[in-house]
Amino acid sequence: MSFQGVSISWPVLAPIVALTAGGLLVLLVDLASKAIPRGVLYGIGVASCVAAFVTMLPLYGQEQVTLNGAFASDRFSWMFDALLLLTLAVTLVLSSLRKAEDGGNAGAYAALLIFCTIGGFVMAGADNLIIIFLGIEQLSLALYVLAGTGFPREASQEAALKYVLLGSLASGFLIFGSALLYGASGGVSLGAIARAAAAPQGLFVAGFALFLVGLSFKLALTPFHTWAPDVYEGSPLAITAYMSVAVKAAAFAILARVAYTVFGHDSVALIPLWGVAILSMLVGNLGAIRQTNLKRLLGYSSIAQAGYIVVALAGVSPGGLAAMLFYLTAYAFTTLGAFAVMALLGDGSDTYAELASYRGLFFRRPWPAAAMALFFFSLAGIPATAGFYGKVLLLQQAFGGGPWGIGMAIALVFGTLVSFYVYGKVVWDMYAPAEGVAAVPSGNALAPWIAVVAGAAGTLVFGVLPQLFYASQPFLTAAVR
Amino acid sequence: MLINTVIFLPLVTALVLLCVPRTASGALKAIALAGAVATFVLSLTFMSLGVSTVADFTAPWIAGPWSAAYHVRVDALRLFFVLLTTLVSAVCVWAAFSYAQATRLRGFLFLLLTFETTLLGLFTAADLLLFYIYWDLMLIPVFLILSGYAGSDDARKAAWGYLIYNGAGGLVLLLGIIGLVNQTHTFEVSGLVPNLSGALSWWLFGAFAFAFAVKTPAFPFHSWMPATYTQSPPPLVAMVSGVQSKAGLFGLLAFALPLFPDAAHVWAPLLLVMAIASILYGALAAIGARDMKLLVAYSSLSHLGLVWLAFFAFSITSVSAGILMLISHGLIAAALFLLLGFIEERVGTRDLGAVGGLSQHAPRLAAYMLVAAMAALGLPGLSGFAGEFLILIGTWQTQPLYTSLALIAVVLACVYMLVLFQSLMHGPERLPRGAGPIELRPREMWLVAPLLAAIVFLGVWPGWLNDRTPNAVTAQPPAVSTTVGRHA
Repeated sequence: MSFQGVSISWPVLAPIVALTAGGLLVLLVDLASKAIPRGVLYGIGVASCVAAFVTMLPLYGQEQVTLNGAFASDRFSWMFDALLLLTLAVTLVLSSLRKAEDGGNAGAYAALLIFCTIGGFVMAGADNLIIIFLGIEQLSLALYVLAGTGFPREASQEAALKYVLLGSLASGFLIFGSALLYGASGGVSLGAIARAAAAPQGLFVAGFALFLVGLSFKLALTPFHTWAPDVYEGSPLAITAYMSVAVKAAAFAILARVAYTVFGHDSVALIPLWGVAILSMLVGNLGAIRQTNLKRLLGYSSIAQAGYIVVALAGVSPGGLAAMLFYLTAYAFTTLGAFAVMALLGDGSDTYAELASYRGLFFRRPWPAAAMALFFFSLAGIPATAGFYGKVLLLQQAFGGGPWGIGMAIALVFGTLVSFYVYGKVVWDMYAPAEGVAAVPSGNALAPWIAVVAGAAGTLVFGVLPQLFYASQPFLTAAVR
Repeated sequence: MLINTVIFLPLVTALVLLCVPRTASGALKAIALAGAVATFVLSLTFMSLGVSTVADFTAPWIAGPWSAAYHVRVDALRLFFVLLTTLVSAVCVWAAFSYAQATRLRGFLFLLLTFETTLLGLFTAADLLLFYIYWDLMLIPVFLILSGYAGSDDARKAAWGYLIYNGAGGLVLLLGIIGLVNQTHTFEVSGLVPNLSGALSWWLFGAFAFAFAVKTPAFPFHSWMPATYTQSPPPLVAMVSGVQSKAGLFGLLAFALPLFPDAAHVWAPLLLVMAIASILYGALAAIGARDMKLLVAYSSLSHLGLVWLAFFAFSITSVSAGILMLISHGLIAAALFLLLGFIEERVGTRDLGAVGGLSQHAPRLAAYMLVAAMAALGLPGLSGFAGEFLILIGTWQTQPLYTSLALIAVVLACVYMLVLFQSLMHGPERLPRGAGPIELRPREMWLVAPLLAAIVFLGVWPGWLNDRTPNAVTAQPPAVSTTVGRHA
């Protein structure tokens, strides 16, 4: 089908359509009556995730483009879409808790989350600078609002404001860089930019540098990370979980597509990226040492993890994509699981975001404590967890990346060592004798338990049998065209 | 499948414990001990293997550009490490009954049994990825026991020292493994002689050796050891010093030496100096120690330094004697730390100056202690002697200078072990106020007895072990044997 000269393939766009319909339905139901329980609204949201996933199934393993080549649905974007849906579903589940912060307006909140995810879908398939920008803006604008939905708390307002200001700055870099890239290459498609990259001129270099800065802001890579800890701490718990996984995944989809489509194996243009990754691994892990708030700690941790994930691209080799997707998947299961434990114990509120409330938790609530320990072991890269095998794959890529790759491998190992202390401290506190420590009351709702169990299962299964994930590797080798 | 049963029986026992109520301490003890003893008995069946046969189990695990297999094996090299682990673990599980508060006993036993599985997995792993997984997983039970059960702030600090130091070693080892597998494309490296450039194999062997030196520990990478050994509850320190400290030296024999024979020779001068430094520094520090557990900790450093020397002297006698020494040291260290633990529990201090004359009240304890201390100083007829003697004969052939230096430590060992025994057991009676009866209880006697029996057995019949191990080492295809051949 085509519309005014633009070819449209509806099956390719079906997941986006399904999500849009789900989001609108949530808004309509919310409008119909104020007496609708919030569980129903979140339930519709989860149902639209399932619907979107069903529409994705026929696309598995397909290579299709639509919108005159501006939007791709390939093996690569499929994996990212699946991760985004998983994150969305978990976030909705965690948001449905009694004390969760949705600003008293569950309908708008759930709809915004869904629209946000559509932005992520657009980013994952974007093959064109304009579509990239559209996706990023859709994702970001919705998230600015969501970060502030805990508005009776000042921290949430602060988070929203900081996120808007620095996010807009980042968008400014991105669009300015895109404009220069367009000027240098005469086109907005990544293919056109790749042709310009073959013989880069000053305009191209400046454009790409600005583009990279903008993307680094979104990924919270050092030195563009300063907003992350504050925003992570202030935002409602479920939104923090969403940010740390979905935003990263979508932005990495863009980064990987650009790196693989535009640049070759030994391109010097990516050297700044390697430097930024090394800084992120160091700053993220060292910064996490002194944190006493778990959301903030995970904020710093996510800076370091983003640095790790960049290492996957070190060799710009086909295996790198598989490594990146494996690590992102491991990170998603692990991080969502950790946030789910926090939400479970605090019943959706921030009471269990304070590290102090974890003292002696092993003896009060052994199972949530054991799950939290598992997730933190995985983030630290202890064997038999998904995070460990992810790091093995990353190091493998680093060794194929020349001297910068070796540098990144050393930074990764050093950062991991520091993170042993960071994550070990939480486990250490949970296992400490807690005589005379007042126990913080903890919740035990069913919904977050599902997320905890799913997270733990993913972390363990992919850790012990990484082959299960790797079975899709033949798909991934040719993922990006 | 027998192999897998032996490896995972402790873990399964640990999981069963979780199903038993925390308060049913009788049932918890019975199940844990039954599991640990059953593991030991099952592992004895490996003795029926002939010298050249192996028990082997392989299952495909990870395919693709980098392959790995779930490959476990018990051969002549691994057999004695497995037996040492199962014996010492069973003893330590039994010993643990008195060390945790009743409500926390379940967790303590759970962690000890999982620790045993990681150790068994490590000593049977024939695939590098598997080896590394267990290598790192070992950190967790030790870290948790130290931070959760030892009860003092010092112990909780010691947990950090242990985790960070050994974590660093582990990560460097991981870099080395990845660097190696980047060339071989498989983690299943036993029997492989990778074709590496000299510089690369130099770096890779360095990474392996660093990790192994931290774990053993060897001077100057031992600074995590004093705190960990003195602060750990006795069953834990008996397992760490008795079994875990063998992991690095086992890794040298099973992986590093066969994989990088040439690089090992390039590194050897430096590593030999490290060995001598460990031997002498450990012995001198032990003489100066006023803390009885610290004294044994430093004596460990000294004794394991001797094994380190044996391996890098590259003579066939010394390598196989090194294995004998390792097993013997595992038994002796476990027995000593358990006995000192009993004493500390009764008198409430580790200070040698505050305790004395115990033999008047506790003749049996004194007798046990005497056997263990004499074995540690290398009295003929006990296991320590045979290993030490054969090592020195072997190293003399290739490294006479270092051997003569090491001989000094043999004399020093008599000094510190006699100081330990005499100040605890002889002389005028000195007891802190409020100390209870000192004599060993029947349970304590029975649980240490197997270790002492093994010490005596290996002392009078070292050939039982030594006759099997030369084949073990030469059967390690092909590197240790060729390494040895080149210089012997």
